[in-house]
Amino acid sequence: MVQVVYRPEYLTYDFGPDHPFSPLRLAMLSELLQELDPGFKPRAPEQATRDDVLRVHAERYVRRVEDASHGQPPPDLAEYGLGAGDTPAFAGMDAAARWLVGGSLAAARMVSEGEARRVLQLGGGLHHAQFDRASGFCVYNDLAVAIHHLLEAGMRVLYVDVDVHHGDGVQWLFYKDPRVLTLSLHESGRYLFPGTGGVYEIGQGGGTGYSWNLPLEPYTGDACYQEVFARVFDRALAWFRPDVILLQAGADAHFLDPLADLVFTTHAYERVFRSVLEGAERYTEGRIVVTLGGGYSFDAAVRVWALLYFLIQGRTPPQRLPEAWRLRWETRLQRPLAAELHDVQLPPEVPRRPEIARYNESNALRLLEVVRKYLNPS
Amino acid sequence: MLVRDVMHSPVVTISTGATLEEANTLMWEQGIRHLPVVEAGRVVGIITDRDVRLATSELSPMPYTPQSRVEEVMTSPVLTADPMDPVEEAARVMRDRKIGCMPVVDGRELVGIITGIDLLDALVALTGAQLPSGRIEVRLPDRPGKLAKLAAFFAERGVNIHSLLTYPDEGGFVRNVLRVDSLETRKLAEGLREAGFEVLWPPEKPWSR
Repeated sequence: MVQVVYRPEYLTYDFGPDHPFSPLRLAMLSELLQELDPGFKPRAPEQATRDDVLRVHAERYVRRVEDASHGQPPPDLAEYGLGAGDTPAFAGMDAAARWLVGGSLAAARMVSEGEARRVLQLGGGLHHAQFDRASGFCVYNDLAVAIHHLLEAGMRVLYVDVDVHHGDGVQWLFYKDPRVLTLSLHESGRYLFPGTGGVYEIGQGGGTGYSWNLPLEPYTGDACYQEVFARVFDRALAWFRPDVILLQAGADAHFLDPLADLVFTTHAYERVFRSVLEGAERYTEGRIVVTLGGGYSFDAAVRVWALLYFLIQGRTPPQRLPEAWRLRWETRLQRPLAAELHDVQLPPEVPRRPEIARYNESNALRLLEVVRKYLNPS
Repeated sequence: MLVRDVMHSPVVTISTGATLEEANTLMWEQGIRHLPVVEAGRVVGIITDRDVRLATSELSPMPYTPQSRVEEVMTSPVLTADPMDPVEEAARVMRDRKIGCMPVVDGRELVGIITGIDLLDALVALTGAQLPSGRIEVRLPDRPGKLAKLAAFFAERGVNIHSLLTYPDEGGFVRNVLRVDSLETRKLAEGLREAGFEVLWPPEKPWSR
């Protein structure tokens, strides 16, 4: 059984008209899915409570988010990552962020209670939010709240993060916990926000060996990505043997993304999504929760996520996008949109490709070699 | 950044009259490699795990026994740092004299120890991502006011600079690696280019303009 979770209140998570984390992407996506699929009937999750949020965040941080939401910003707001920069405070921010947390938590509950095996949360994936700090457009860490729930249900969680940015918030929140294996593939922190996610960040204490990071060279493309992804993901499954997979499906490694420097196409995303779903079939009796994440090219992100919507249901994705939808949004956004779901326009050939591949493969080997002894595979 | 910011304290020490065996055991138990040797509360020498191993090795031309006294083997006098010294000065002394640590003394009192590892920590703190941040690299002419203009660019946009590392480049230029409080380094780079700066990272992507 496959479930999809969404509600229009997600659109209230809005940092303003010029901010890249725009709710218009979700509006575009939900309209697209309605027009592509007459059976599009997502479940509306409940809002997460304050207590749900407090499972992973400091009370002093939550209090500041609440105060700022109600127009009473405390003077030390910037120390909690909520200043004027990437993650500015806005009216109603606390409630908006709790809608997104509610969706991911509801998705995790459906899986832990056996109501569904595959659940797609059409939102969330705010992987940068930290224990007591907002960061990188992320206020509350919906993924960590979902993981916390799955752990309480007695499950071991494999967290897979394909967002182009390192999944630092989730990693630090479970850095010492051997019940969660975090696997993040991202553009190297040497070049991209947030700067962490090196191959030797492998966890601490009892959790040593349970944080996996594969930093990728700028301009890494489809072929190399599929190769190294398969290598580390298969080992993560075989060595860790999870009960459930949580996938953060950020779409910002796409070559059209304005914030980062990888050059994936929708074809790489299709193969990666398929292999994660197959991995769940082989190791977790199909149990998987998928959230969205970053993705700042409206055109590319919406197509990647529409693809995900069909793949998770085991359906063949359509080739063309509805004309009416496309023209409507082209007018609204004042920019051209692709007519087909998969990329027709491809990125140019990268001259350094062999060098990039060699570098990424070496790092995959380093990663597996250093974590292996902690997981004790037979 | 000062020595007192990166040094370790309190310091594990040993007395002149202790045996090499005792020194060895102490270093092994504490997981350390350097022991300042003290007499009447003053630092009179230093002994390292390497000193002990070489002194007691069969390969040594004049082998000592485990019962030999620390003062027979220690290095003396010892080079020390002041807690108010800048770390780069301590690093220079350690590099020039090829030594692995310096006891830190305030007047005559031993207040800490700084080792090569502490200097690596300092390097990480000076160059690394202590806070989530994006990286921007800009090449500036090595002339007065250029760095100020760069800093003003970020100030005008309310973007905080977490760290700034500069180093000389060929032809009268300086490379500046900034870690800034923003995920939108591409947009900032675009603005910098429009304002006439030479941005080395992030580069332009011709197909996504």
